Amino acid sequence: MTDAPFIEIEDLYFSRGDHEIFRGVNMTIPRGKVTAIMGPSGTGKTTLLKLIGGQLTPESGRILIDGQDVHRLSRKALFTLRKRMGMLFQSGALFSDLDVFENVAFPLRVHTDLPDTMVRDLVLLKLQAVGLRGARYLTPAELSGGMARRVALARAVALDPELILYDEPFVGQDPISMGVLVQLIKRLNQALQLTSVVVSHDIKETLSIADYLYLIADGQVVAHGTPQTLDANQDPRVSQFIHGEPDGPVPFHYPAEAFYRDILGDPPATKIG
Amino acid sequence: MKRSKTMEFGVGLFMVAGILGLVFLGLRVSGLTLSAPTQSFKLEANFANIGSLKPRARVTMAGVTVGRVEAIELDTQWFDARVVLILNSELEGQLSKDSIASILTAGLLGEQYIGLSVGGDPEVLENGDTIRDTQSALVLEELIQQFVSNMASN
Amino acid sequence: MQSKFSNSTARITQLGRRGCDLMEALGRAGVFLFQSAIGVPSREGWRLWLHQMHFVGVLSIAIVLVSGLFIGMVLALQGYTILVDFGAEQALGQMVALSLLRELAPVVAALLFAGRAGSALTAEIGLMKATEQLTSMEMIGVDPLRRVVAPRLWAGFVSLPILTVGFSVVGIWGGYLVGVEWLGVFEGSYWSNMQASVTFINDIGNGMIKSAVFALVVTWIAVFQGYDLVPTSEGISRATTRTVVYSSLAVLGLDFVLTAIMFGGL
Repeated sequence: MTDAPFIEIEDLYFSRGDHEIFRGVNMTIPRGKVTAIMGPSGTGKTTLLKLIGGQLTPESGRILIDGQDVHRLSRKALFTLRKRMGMLFQSGALFSDLDVFENVAFPLRVHTDLPDTMVRDLVLLKLQAVGLRGARYLTPAELSGGMARRVALARAVALDPELILYDEPFVGQDPISMGVLVQLIKRLNQALQLTSVVVSHDIKETLSIADYLYLIADGQVVAHGTPQTLDANQDPRVSQFIHGEPDGPVPFHYPAEAFYRDILGDPPATKIG
Repeated sequence: MKRSKTMEFGVGLFMVAGILGLVFLGLRVSGLTLSAPTQSFKLEANFANIGSLKPRARVTMAGVTVGRVEAIELDTQWFDARVVLILNSELEGQLSKDSIASILTAGLLGEQYIGLSVGGDPEVLENGDTIRDTQSALVLEELIQQFVSNMASN
Repeated sequence: MQSKFSNSTARITQLGRRGCDLMEALGRAGVFLFQSAIGVPSREGWRLWLHQMHFVGVLSIAIVLVSGLFIGMVLALQGYTILVDFGAEQALGQMVALSLLRELAPVVAALLFAGRAGSALTAEIGLMKATEQLTSMEMIGVDPLRRVVAPRLWAGFVSLPILTVGFSVVGIWGGYLVGVEWLGVFEGSYWSNMQASVTFINDIGNGMIKSAVFALVVTWIAVFQGYDLVPTSEGISRATTRTVVYSSLAVLGLDFVLTAIMFGGL
């Protein structure tokens, strides 16, 4: 059983308004590994995480987590399933009315009946793991962006989840805190036997921690494989993204009429009334 | 922890103040009395016309408030108004049988209330008795009508 | 001709879409109220409720009481100048008390509450939404409707009637200050006229019912606007404005309906 994939995504369709975001996405995410989902901005990577977490419902297709169809569960069963997941948000999303200690203690307090002393020990353990045991009395407003993300990471693993979802963990970080986060994600994954899903467009960092990669564009999976195979992939869409070339199949220009006509020709008829 | 204690104290104070405010409104503003019903006694009086007398109106004696109007209903036997009065219990067995109940008006436009005045009969009114001697309310229209017809006949 | 025709159809389509959007929003708000208000409060829930009572109720005391004092004083001043023409200044207490208890205290306290507490609730919940705190709470397996919205809803519902009582008491005292202490109305008639005309059930009770209805509506609008807003800084500022505008309109409109039912013999 342990070799069965932890998450299976089958033929997923999702759209927001008239805009189709996913058109038949298939993925299998293996247990105990770091799987990265990459793609240009605006391809709905965060949306995919929200679909996995059951906060959004797809139009068709299904998502199985450990054999359970996320969108067929009752509200109660879904909340029970979520106790087995942790999610790290782009902004950290710490509760602004609680201090660092209480933020990390929050999942423990609401889901367990542990005595206060035990909660304290567990929280300090998790804070020690992210190196912020000394910052326990600070409020979220006093933390830097990188520190906030580390506290959020400690909170996400407070209940020792089996799955952890990272939403753009490296965005907007200075090189030092980026390095710290890469180390942390790697270490946590090894130490806790977690299944990790990292959504990101930071290629270098992601390649260094991912065991397996999915590349999505235009609402579909365009390539998947280990970092090595993707690096050698000849598909122009893949190599443009992996090697960060400014122009290619994903155009630099937003669709527009030809530049010379636009700038030299008659002004286009403006709509009246 | 200390901050949350003072906060809880503040909220408690807030709620107590709300209840006290309501009690103030009840007692001082609407004139509710907390006296138990056993401390009062009941009399009835029939009036030919009560004017605009309302339930809860004052009952006075020599200008001192001694009770209030409990209920007003139409007596279908005589087709006049039966008014139930609740008086202080200390007056029980003190009012003579021929006491007079009249409907008076406070000022020219004020509200109407009942004034009691005692007679000389040695027998006294007991709980539930009816006052025989009553004076109805003065209705302004009737007064004017009388005045006009007197003028006409003269 | 052609463009005029297509223009008017476009307008009708837009009107229809607005109507559908409005119905949809009302439905969402109804489901939202139902989901937040049900559920037995836990020990933790009590603590959260207490916390919100502080923010919503205790911190609104000052503005409500000061306004109540001034309104009572103005009522006495205005009432006196009218009543003295009829030689009926003895009825000042009655006028002040009835105006306050039936109308001014529930309505003005609700309007102040919408401005002071309602807008703050919207902004606070909106900010929690914009910074993904609500989503992350959901991912931790805690329902934000229960944890964030319900305590605020109940705190608002309990606070406003208490504030309204305070408003009335202070207003009547303000009327006393101006009428009796300053303008020289006889103290005994100020209180006795009041007591003779104010009834507990009809005046104070109905005023309290009004206040409870306003409390529910204002808090509901405030938390729903916060929960339902577009999570950007512009969205938050728009939603805060909407809270104040919608709740003021709702309070004044409902006041007319409730007054018609309670005192208008409907």
